[in-house]
Amino acid sequence: MTKPHLQLAQETIHLLAGKPGVSGYEYKLFPSLEQTFKPLVDDIYTDNMHNCYAVKNGYASNNQTVMLAAHSDEIGLMVTHIDSKGFIHFSPIGGIDDRTLLYQEVTVHGSRDLPGIISFQPDQTKSDKKKSVKLHQMAIDIGHSSEEAQSLVKPGDIVSINRATLDLLDQTIAGKSLDNRAGITVMAVCLSELNSIKHKHNVIAVTTVQEEVGLRGAQTSTEKLNPTIAVAIDVTHAQTIDAKNQVSIHLGKGPAITIGPNIHPTMHALLTACAQDNNLPYQVQAVAGPTGTDARIIQLSSFGIPTGLLSIPLRYMHTSVETVSLKDVVSCGKLLARFIAALPDDLEDISCS
Amino acid sequence: MSMNRDFDYSLLAKLTQAFGPSGNEQQVAEIITDNVKDYVESIVTDTMGNLIVRKKGNEQKIMIVCHMDEVGIIVTHINKNGFLYYATVGGLKNTDMISKRVIFSNGTVGIIHKEKDETIDKKPEKLYIDIGAANEQEAKELVRVGDMAVISGDFLENDSVIISKALDDRIGCFIALEVIRTVTSPYDLYFVFSAQEEVGARGAKTAAYAIEADLAIIIDTTFSYDTPKVQNNRVSLNNGVAIKVMDKSIVVSPAIKNWMAKIAAASDIPHQWEIITAGGTDSGPIHLTKGGIPTGGLAIPVRYLHSGNEIVGKKDITAGIDLLTALITTHLYFES
Repeated sequence: MTKPHLQLAQETIHLLAGKPGVSGYEYKLFPSLEQTFKPLVDDIYTDNMHNCYAVKNGYASNNQTVMLAAHSDEIGLMVTHIDSKGFIHFSPIGGIDDRTLLYQEVTVHGSRDLPGIISFQPDQTKSDKKKSVKLHQMAIDIGHSSEEAQSLVKPGDIVSINRATLDLLDQTIAGKSLDNRAGITVMAVCLSELNSIKHKHNVIAVTTVQEEVGLRGAQTSTEKLNPTIAVAIDVTHAQTIDAKNQVSIHLGKGPAITIGPNIHPTMHALLTACAQDNNLPYQVQAVAGPTGTDARIIQLSSFGIPTGLLSIPLRYMHTSVETVSLKDVVSCGKLLARFIAALPDDLEDISCS
Repeated sequence: MSMNRDFDYSLLAKLTQAFGPSGNEQQVAEIITDNVKDYVESIVTDTMGNLIVRKKGNEQKIMIVCHMDEVGIIVTHINKNGFLYYATVGGLKNTDMISKRVIFSNGTVGIIHKEKDETIDKKPEKLYIDIGAANEQEAKELVRVGDMAVISGDFLENDSVIISKALDDRIGCFIALEVIRTVTSPYDLYFVFSAQEEVGARGAKTAAYAIEADLAIIIDTTFSYDTPKVQNNRVSLNNGVAIKVMDKSIVVSPAIKNWMAKIAAASDIPHQWEIITAGGTDSGPIHLTKGGIPTGGLAIPVRYLHSGNEIVGKKDITAGIDLLTALITTHLYFES
């Protein structure tokens, strides 16, 4: 009995967003990824970078490989040293905005997981309340003396931000690391949908590591798979109160299908045609330069891979209250499945058209 | 407990004083070749200028990488008064360049300076090199456009530290040389003395592709955080070899860094942790080669990197040699 897509999406996003998976330390996510993908695919395996591959075979004998890629990592912190008072100092991993860190609850992954808070002691004598606090002025308080802290935590240990995932109204969901657990959820919905429609080609859904520090997992996994075509799934900025006219993408109006030099024009054309044929909502996002997603490095792999990009609209990127619409996640997963099922017999036709 | 052992530091003096800006590593390669040829099965120079030294073994392939090149400058223009203008080759800050001595491969020495009332920003155009030439013609007899020079800095030592130019990364080359000459290992060892690290880890990238190792270990330098104002217990001089956790180009797999620390602890080798957010190393392109090469790194703490007056601690050199030896003679990280 297959779960309804919305239920699958909601359960998956809650399961994945609740777990830490800071860049380079995504192995902590593997049990949850396995739990998500195993019931949906023929095979699942990982590599030495901890990219995780979920393989769903197509029915044709001369099948080719369609790679899906959604990154599994999230931004986080790394312990650099512990001072004489027991405060833990840290460096950012990935694009951290210092302003989002103050007074957050964190988990320090020391010799065991330790709860902590990001502290800062304002200077009471100066009135510098208008200045934002910089990362190097903050430290993590785990409530221990220096000696105790040193025995449990060492430089190089990972720190992840904590935040419960919230169900807001109208199938809107807020939490940490929805960039890009929302993208992984799209792949789960897609693979679930593919269980009820026939598809010729092999689909390998990769949860790529270390996207936030330089698209690294996508680079090695693409090199390994050498797929005929690929679709990356990530998130994109959705309009917020202050966005004015700089952001044209709206939450809840369907996934964004990217167009631009980073995207193969036929991939864009097939994805939009598929959305129209199936009455699925979508938005078009034009990106003039390289997209800041796995699509960038996948396109440049090997002899060049025709690559498409689907993005889930998301508000408040790289904070612990990233917000997406489950409706966008589900329609994106459906779109991806329909797209795969409708692909031509010979995928080389895509790169030549 | 590893102590200050005596090594033949005259070899390190020779290595550091050799001329080797990125793309011009031949002098360094010659010194290395002379000192390893009796200990290894093969020595190859590839198209990029990497020197690849193989010490054969029957077990897995390990690639050990240190770079030969150093930061420098390249002459872009010679004016009619005989002054030279330049661009940087590798990470050099203009504000740090005033009054630096540079030396060309033919021995010509120049002084980098600025006009008295000039303020220096990000562009090097306001700086010039004075080689003491009277005019354009005289200058061109000694230096041509396109010639490179390096920052000069004599080799000095006392009981605890060494001061010189180009310790980044001739110290890595020195450690590798010591290990090549003393180690007996079951593994198939490829020592890569890489070219063009300072301009983007270019040599290591192609070498990694050619060798396709089962494990790569980088030996490079890292910032020492023990200057007067920065007294924290991060990385300091003579406090041990640093085990790479993260730099701008890599997040080392926890399995590998923990393996290194475990081996260090088991042999009582002093070690610290390298965590930096600026600056990449050869480990970046290497670990992303093909389907991904498991990669870790050792780093020797250095004060005043790229200054011509780099300082390293002798205890850290000893620890570096001991830890590299231990790593390539015991079980690998995935076998434990």
